[in-house]
Amino acid sequence: MPLLFFVVSIGVIIATLNLPKARLGNPNAPVYFPMMLGIFLLILSIVYFIQEWRKTEMEEKEAVQELLQGRVPKLIGLSLLLALGYTLIFEWIGFLISTILFMASLLFLINGKKKWMVNIATALIFSFASWYAFGVLLQVSLP
Amino acid sequence: MGVDIQTLMEGFKTAMQPMNLLWVLVGGFLGTVVGMLPGLGPATAVAVLIPITFGMDPTSALILMAAIYYGAMYGGSRSSILLNTPGDGSAIAATFDGYPMSQQGRAGQALAMSAIASLIGGVIAVIGFIFLAKPLAEFALQFGPAEYFLLMVFTLSAIVSLSKGNMVKGFISMSVGLLLSTVGVDLQSGVYRFTMGIPQLSEGIDFLVIIIGIYAVGEVLYNLVSIDKPKGDKKSVGKKWITKDQWKVSKWPILRSGPLGFLIGVLPGAGGSIASMLSYTTERQLSKRQDQFGKGAVEGVAAPESANNAASVGALIPLLTMGIPGSGTTAVMLGAIIMLGVQPGPLLFQHNGDMVWSLVGSMFIGNIFLVLINILLLGLLVKILDTPAKILYPVIFVLSFIGTYTLNYSIIDFYILLLFGVVGLAMKIYKFPIAPLILAVIVGSDMEQNFRKSLVSSDGSLGIFFESTVSVVLLILTILSISYPFITEMIQKRRKTQDTAGNHHEL
Amino acid sequence: MKKLLIFLSILTLMALTACGSQSSSGDGGESYPSKDLEFVAPASPGGGWDATARAMKKVLNDEKIVEENMNVVNKPGGSGEVGWKYLKKQDPHTLSVNSSLVLTNNLLGKSQLTYKDFTPLAILTTEWEAVAIPKDSSIKNAEALMKQLKKDPKSLKIAVAPGLGNDDHLSFVQAAKTYGVDVTKLDFLVYESGGDVVSALLGGHVDVATMSVSEAKQQYKADKVDILAVSSEERLDGLEDIPTWKEQGVDMVFPHWRGVMGPPDMTEEEIAYWDEKLKKMTETDAWKKILKNNEWQSFYKDSSETKKFLKEQEEMYSDLVKKSGLAE
Repeated sequence: MPLLFFVVSIGVIIATLNLPKARLGNPNAPVYFPMMLGIFLLILSIVYFIQEWRKTEMEEKEAVQELLQGRVPKLIGLSLLLALGYTLIFEWIGFLISTILFMASLLFLINGKKKWMVNIATALIFSFASWYAFGVLLQVSLP
Repeated sequence: MGVDIQTLMEGFKTAMQPMNLLWVLVGGFLGTVVGMLPGLGPATAVAVLIPITFGMDPTSALILMAAIYYGAMYGGSRSSILLNTPGDGSAIAATFDGYPMSQQGRAGQALAMSAIASLIGGVIAVIGFIFLAKPLAEFALQFGPAEYFLLMVFTLSAIVSLSKGNMVKGFISMSVGLLLSTVGVDLQSGVYRFTMGIPQLSEGIDFLVIIIGIYAVGEVLYNLVSIDKPKGDKKSVGKKWITKDQWKVSKWPILRSGPLGFLIGVLPGAGGSIASMLSYTTERQLSKRQDQFGKGAVEGVAAPESANNAASVGALIPLLTMGIPGSGTTAVMLGAIIMLGVQPGPLLFQHNGDMVWSLVGSMFIGNIFLVLINILLLGLLVKILDTPAKILYPVIFVLSFIGTYTLNYSIIDFYILLLFGVVGLAMKIYKFPIAPLILAVIVGSDMEQNFRKSLVSSDGSLGIFFESTVSVVLLILTILSISYPFITEMIQKRRKTQDTAGNHHEL
Repeated sequence: MKKLLIFLSILTLMALTACGSQSSSGDGGESYPSKDLEFVAPASPGGGWDATARAMKKVLNDEKIVEENMNVVNKPGGSGEVGWKYLKKQDPHTLSVNSSLVLTNNLLGKSQLTYKDFTPLAILTTEWEAVAIPKDSSIKNAEALMKQLKKDPKSLKIAVAPGLGNDDHLSFVQAAKTYGVDVTKLDFLVYESGGDVVSALLGGHVDVATMSVSEAKQQYKADKVDILAVSSEERLDGLEDIPTWKEQGVDMVFPHWRGVMGPPDMTEEEIAYWDEKLKKMTETDAWKKILKNNEWQSFYKDSSETKKFLKEQEEMYSDLVKKSGLAE
């Protein structure tokens, strides 16, 4: 974890060096603040690293292990993939159909195949209700 | 303007007209419902409901919009308490103790307390409005870039100091938030920073998308980890009303937070997020049972709720006395009343005084209505907790996406939402405090811009940050809030050594 | 369960009929428009673009000038870039609101798009620019202001919103330039919104502000600020005491206009359709009332005039952006 912040802060510092210069006023004015933050984060990540290194017991270890147990990684990974799929088809095939598909597949994934009646019913009711509430009552322009 | 009792009474009379009462009821109800959905805070609620006001008489329109506004403030904290998914920046502080309370089976009490606190905060603010609108508006004008910068630094330091015992993680969380706030166009120079050529990012990452991502999506993902585990006891809703003891500990926090929230609300641009977080941190530092905060202390729900509702009344002051919108929501309201032919501005009180006083009257009545609505809804709301987790979480997941879409109508936000969902999950697992990050995203860019504006106007001299009384007070408060955790730690340590010393004596 | 199924089928039916009625509202024939129209406001609700789009929809539909339903769609981001990129890919049933940003975004190097990528249909309204100072300022007129800035461009702090390179900023640059002020050295404080500029001015945190007349007018009427000059051709209604720049020896008329454009390659008939409808719209009382409420002025130009106007404006802005120091 501290390593991640270390990499991020280095990345930020490099990115700030490549920022365009301001045309009016002090040309470096837009750079100072993010640069400062990058350096601050770099220092913090080192302190964090030392802190973790000195600690003998890892309180987070348990939580991480739980994350890798049983079907949990598959569940989270697939949920994220489904959400990505939803993002890709949302504007293409429209709100209603994509939401029904997304909702139904999520429910099948999480709630299980056995309760298919409940899953499909929830997906349909939810999608129509939200489409009605947002698209018709609130006049949000949905694709 | 002085308080003319007669015009005030006239105002109340107008507000009591059946039609206007109906609008308050409708607005309050719609606001509460819309405000509960993730991503739909007061600004969106007012914006999407504006078409209803077309063709209405301006007074009724203003009454309706204001009712939607504070209705959404009430609603926003419902989801914070029940599901740990705040709908808006100002509802975040309600998660700190509200969610632990509902996990302990005290959701009913948390909701009831938040309704009562909101009512009292709102009433305090309405009274403040009646007597202090003009002088406060003048006071708010004294806030220049330097004062705004210091106010934001103070709020950030107060929030970071909450992560006592883990300051490094608190600071990391804050720095990441500040870095995120630099994405987008840099106002002072017009330079695009870190936008990666995506035009949607040119106005920055919408902080609401980050809130929904980290809280709602992150919470769903986090719950997937344990979703197959059999739940111990079924979470009960518990008592639906607060106890005498709970009232006792919350009484003063509510009465203190109301005026505080009201004052911060008056400052253009500061708003509910800063008000609720500052009142929370203040009450925690004043409290005798600090260790209970964050673990379901009832006054930790009461204080921010009182503050943010008072802030929403305060935010109307710059709009009505000077025609200056102080927040996103009031900007939308300004646009709507202009469309109806009213010119808000310094002359509004002279030209449309009856309208303003009717609004004040309606806010008074509206707050009472909202408590009734919320208490009636209480039974229905807590039913949400009875929904099986395996259905509830997919629903929240999808709702987060829809809510996000209503913000900017952009698919780019979906990717950002997912990214921050994962970030939220990681933060929960590695026990990083979330509030510093969110608050930093909300105030970060204003903070930087105000700092740079201060330096331009002082021709580069740092002296500008010590010039006014307000600045000096804010500086002192900042130093106090940062050193406070260290001081209490030291005192505790000393007590401990004394205790052990004492023990030795006895032995 | 049975109840649930019935409920479901009713819902489905409702949705189907709703979809059906939406797609069948057109005439079905070849004539334009053949379906519902979409109106892109390339900004969030609450601003001038959104207000213009919603006002147009209201008048065109309420007065039955256009029978087809018009939907306003918000596509905020990148000072119009997001909305206009979207417009470029649509068929002629989608239109969008625009302003001088459709020219300056390109000139400032922020966008590849320019007005030539679209079909300009009309210019509808304009606001004028004002230069305001706090009531207690020692500066008494525009000339004194500019003389001081010529002596020391950094001696006065100027508030502007919401970004450099917009009309508020460039109109001030244009005026200052004619007095020989070194405009690249001016200290602009950029605020997020017009409201913030007003409060900075009232609180005495800046010395001068440049903004649209509508933002300054109410404060002036309440005797809170002074206005030194307006950018219109003649003095404005309700502000008869305020001289124009022209009267003060600056040859400048600076409109802050808003117009309408469609996707590229619209046919002659389609353009003619909008020339007729939009002209009709600007003549209605409902439209005039909206203009009055918003402090906008009519600035109607039909499609061919608009084309010519945009060409002139592009030359003007190109020159101005270079002078301001924002581009080479």
